Amino acid sequence: MNQSCAQTQCPEAAETQLLPAELGALYTAHSRAIYYLALRFLGDSQKAEDATHDVFLKALRHLNQFRREASARTWLYRIAINHCKNVRAAWHDRHVLPSSQDEFIERLPGGDSPLRILETKELGGRIQQTLDGLKAEYRLLLLLVSDQELSYEQAGALTGQTADAVRGKLFRARKAFAELFKKTE
Amino acid sequence: MKQDNKFSTGRHREQAAESQTAESQSAHTVAREFQSVEDLLRHDAAQTAVPPEIARRLSQSIAQSAAPRRSWWRRFTD
Repeated sequence: MNQSCAQTQCPEAAETQLLPAELGALYTAHSRAIYYLALRFLGDSQKAEDATHDVFLKALRHLNQFRREASARTWLYRIAINHCKNVRAAWHDRHVLPSSQDEFIERLPGGDSPLRILETKELGGRIQQTLDGLKAEYRLLLLLVSDQELSYEQAGALTGQTADAVRGKLFRARKAFAELFKKTE
Repeated sequence: MKQDNKFSTGRHREQAAESQTAESQSAHTVAREFQSVEDLLRHDAAQTAVPPEIARRLSQSIAQSAAPRRSWWRRFTD
């Protein structure tokens, strides 16, 4: 995905011309994954936008740490997970209400066409509703393993457990997701 | 592109890429089905665009942090 994104003029590639080269390359390759994790973990597009901005700013300030890491994706995920957990904890301290599907739809970017919004409502809204209903650990594991660039070992390292533990929990997480997803129909 | 699926997202309208043409304005209905939770999330991720505003904000934040900081007393003397 990354190479094709760099070769074709995808929106991320176009915008990264504004960024310093080293960060621009990181942003082009990983911004979609980081934004998606933040969006579905936090359940709010504005918070996901803020979180993605903050994650890449932190990454720029700690680029020397990245050079010691085996994978830029896991390094960025680690920053993103810590950041999103802090945001979520702070948010839940002040607001007990989880984001509902309607709230999620209301916060969609204004440029979406009605049909695009309808599709997002039917699928993205249901996915968000389902993820919101899961235990935080299951939500995070599902989001991480759905990234094909991440192995179970890497997902385990990011969540502080072994790959076998990840497999075991994923079995329960998938089951819980499937049951909740059906209820959103 | 239909798969033997575990997850059906139900029927929904989808507009073709050529949305400007009269033909495509009659949107058609498709069913999306997925093999697993991970497939469903991958599809959702692929459909999720990164707001261009983030890169612009990043660029502004970097420019602000890179600007040389003046001592507080210089603001009065300059």
